[in-house]
Amino acid sequence: MAFSVGVVLFGIGLVAIAIRRDLVIKLLALGLTNAGSILCLVAVGDRPDARVPICAVCRDAIYADPLPQALVLSAIVINFAILALALVFVMRLVERYRSTDSRHIEDLVQRDLDEGGGP
Amino acid sequence: MIARTALLALLPIVAAIALTQRRRLTAIIGMGLFSFLLAVSYLLLHAPDVALTEATIGLGLITAIYVLAIRRTGRLTVVADEAPGLFVREGDRIVGLEHEILARFARHLGLDLSVQFVPHRDVADLVRSGEADVGAGGWVLGEEAGVFATRPHLDTALFTVGGTKEGTGEGVPRVRYEGYFADLDPKSLYTAETPVTLDLARFLAVQRSDVPDDSVTRHPQPRGYAFVVNGRRRDLHSALDAYIERLREDGELDRLAGRFLA
Amino acid sequence: MRPRPFHLLAIVCTVCVVLVVLLAFHSVDPETAPHATYVERPVAETGATNRVASVYLNYRLYDSLLELLVFFVAVLGVRFYLGARERPDVPPLAESEVVRTSAALLFPLAVLLGVYLAALGQISPGGGFGAGVIAASGLLLTSIALGIDAIDRRIRRNAMERIERGALLVLLLLMLLPLPLGRPAFADLLPKGAPGAVLSGGSIPLYNVLIALKVVAGAWLILRSFVRHRGEI
Repeated sequence: MAFSVGVVLFGIGLVAIAIRRDLVIKLLALGLTNAGSILCLVAVGDRPDARVPICAVCRDAIYADPLPQALVLSAIVINFAILALALVFVMRLVERYRSTDSRHIEDLVQRDLDEGGGP
Repeated sequence: MIARTALLALLPIVAAIALTQRRRLTAIIGMGLFSFLLAVSYLLLHAPDVALTEATIGLGLITAIYVLAIRRTGRLTVVADEAPGLFVREGDRIVGLEHEILARFARHLGLDLSVQFVPHRDVADLVRSGEADVGAGGWVLGEEAGVFATRPHLDTALFTVGGTKEGTGEGVPRVRYEGYFADLDPKSLYTAETPVTLDLARFLAVQRSDVPDDSVTRHPQPRGYAFVVNGRRRDLHSALDAYIERLREDGELDRLAGRFLA
Repeated sequence: MRPRPFHLLAIVCTVCVVLVVLLAFHSVDPETAPHATYVERPVAETGATNRVASVYLNYRLYDSLLELLVFFVAVLGVRFYLGARERPDVPPLAESEVVRTSAALLFPLAVLLGVYLAALGQISPGGGFGAGVIAASGLLLTSIALGIDAIDRRIRRNAMERIERGALLVLLLLMLLPLPLGRPAFADLLPKGAPGAVLSGGSIPLYNVLIALKVVAGAWLILRSFVRHRGEI
């Protein structure tokens, strides 16, 4: 169930990136796809009647898989750093073209390129 | 168990609602709420390390940097559609009568001027919702709820272009447009089914191409260009009105009009 | 936003992808035993009772190192691109007495929580990453309440830069230290200690503290750049 929700979240994020024109919303949707993937990974490690994988002496109980949790921990922190950098680029773009609309910015960039020379 | 299923089912709903918001701030806070629910879900999936990290990063830091990125401090935010002579982008600069008026007004108030170009129909929404302080760009007085319109600073007229030629039923030939209308599909600008209404400035820009005279109708009422201000900013509205009035009395308005709209 | 044919295409493609992934997942037998290696062995091998910590700070330490490097580069990038546009004077965002008092109360709590999570990461959930982020959030809270200028006077940028780079360097050295001693890189040199004790898990607590220092410095540098920036959007 959790895995399915994760995939659905990924799909929602993907659709939102494609459909919404505002750059900030696109970034938020990118973060949502990250969250969906991470949820999938954590869900894979979970199993029925599992327990938290922290125990002094682990006996015959079923424990959640700690490997995906550990991988995902790094992924979350990296997501934050990369999202911050992406947001910085979006801010620079908005400063340059004075609009947060992606199609408008594309048109302006195309116009800059057509007039010769780079943006 | 039921709680976990309900929470997991709630996640896509919250995410979808958050990402379909119009205002950016609402979307950011919605995603913050989503992060919180996600962190609780991780707890229910027996991953406390992940839950803690997700809660602090997703809910704390990421929401914070988004809000810091979109905040506007000490600024006058103007949303405008490009209008020839009034608000035009030239390379890195913006020139035009309305831009000049607003730039002087912002300096007068001690604020920085921040301009964003948006499609014409978004101007009213953004000003009404408060995301922008002033709307400009060849705005013609009409009935708009929730916003104040200043007194018109320049006279104009409305023209309707398009529609079928008299009696023949065929559409007006396609003409080039100058790229000012981000929200108008170029193909539909001059087709038989969609007559389009333009104000004087845009009509003059468009008329450089060939538009048959019998497809143009001029509206009889005199109109004026004005700025729109958020309905809750009464102080801003009266200040802007007073400033424009002062410009008009000094004759400065006519001088600027002559400079930009020659 | 007007519906365009591209929107329909995007939705259809995404739905197809989602359905394919779900079908693939559910057609595979999901009942796999958890890695016995990562559940039963860690206490004996690493001394840490937190299995997750033993994975990312012992078995997969190089993953964490690379992740810290990525974080470092991202901090560099943010500071580089936002550095040119810093306002010299940024007024405090909130000036009410309530916010200032609560910030004063919450900041030491945040730092304390960070220290706790970093120091006890090997026996309870938490770890260096969460600790660093919580402490950086506390710093952000005080900067919002007291004004970024006040915080910058107290915590100089150079100090934070040195903490970040110093922590990263020490981490690198620690990870490479076993090499001249005849052990493989990333090996654990410290004694394991009794499981469940504070001083257990070999060098895991040391790594946690260093990672927390690096993350708090890096995250604070990012946040500081954002607060100082004029926020054009």
